[in-house]
Amino acid sequence: MRKTKKLVFMALLTAIALTIFVIENQIPAPVPIPGVKLGLANIITLVTMLLLGKKEAGAVLLMRVVMGAMFAGSPSTLLFSAAGGLLAYLAMCLTVSRFDERQLWIVSALAALAHNAGQLGTCALVVKTPGILAYAPILAVSGVITGVFTGFAAMYLVRALRNARN
Amino acid sequence: MKKKTLIWIAAFALILLAGVGLWLYLGSTGGTVAVISVDGEEVDRVDLTKVTEPYYIDIDTGNGRNIVQVSPGAIAVVYADCPDQICVHQGQLTGGGIPIVCMPHRLVIQIEGGEIDA
Repeated sequence: MRKTKKLVFMALLTAIALTIFVIENQIPAPVPIPGVKLGLANIITLVTMLLLGKKEAGAVLLMRVVMGAMFAGSPSTLLFSAAGGLLAYLAMCLTVSRFDERQLWIVSALAALAHNAGQLGTCALVVKTPGILAYAPILAVSGVITGVFTGFAAMYLVRALRNARN
Repeated sequence: MKKKTLIWIAAFALILLAGVGLWLYLGSTGGTVAVISVDGEEVDRVDLTKVTEPYYIDIDTGNGRNIVQVSPGAIAVVYADCPDQICVHQGQLTGGGIPIVCMPHRLVIQIEGGEIDA
């Protein structure tokens, strides 16, 4: 892909990820458990990684986290989503080449687990109350469920985008 | 389906089962003393079995305001001036090891087992 085309594509992906992130923030939490959310914006991180590469996915993620905190969150949410996002990104980088595209849901579930672990760990440090680690089991459950879901979404999106480009 | 995929499905199923099991177990562990803390510092401690009339505690956490309702055997956050309102939606805490958390204000309400001194 030519340099300019790639830059435009990355900007587009960032904008889409940001829009998803902001809209998801407006949806009331489906269950009253802190930290449980769909994580739909991670679809874009995965798609970017598969279509463009790891470095590019990292750039899109970084921009989304920073701008997402500016548009939708507060300084405190920036810390949590950065910690979660970074761990999820590392999990994706380490596992994405070990699975084929049809197994993307596995990569995504592992990334979601890493994300929730990072977020909960940061939360426990920030409030200095280890008691909130009681949320670990339910965050593991929600990570697997939402991760599998976003993984399949990312897989279909990658297929559609590949076809569209040809 | 590949063997590797099946192993992963089994692993994730195990996480789901273990997670739900642990969650239910933690929710059933007991205690009657509610401990309210902000930023890791304990600000109040109430034995819920000794409460006869409901009352409210207004807490200025430094990051925002929370109003905690204490009633016989239960404690809840009824007001928070944060955008997510998750702590308010968590409702009443009557026992168990799962705390109410208001992340933006660093407020945590936990139930502990022990008696209050003095």
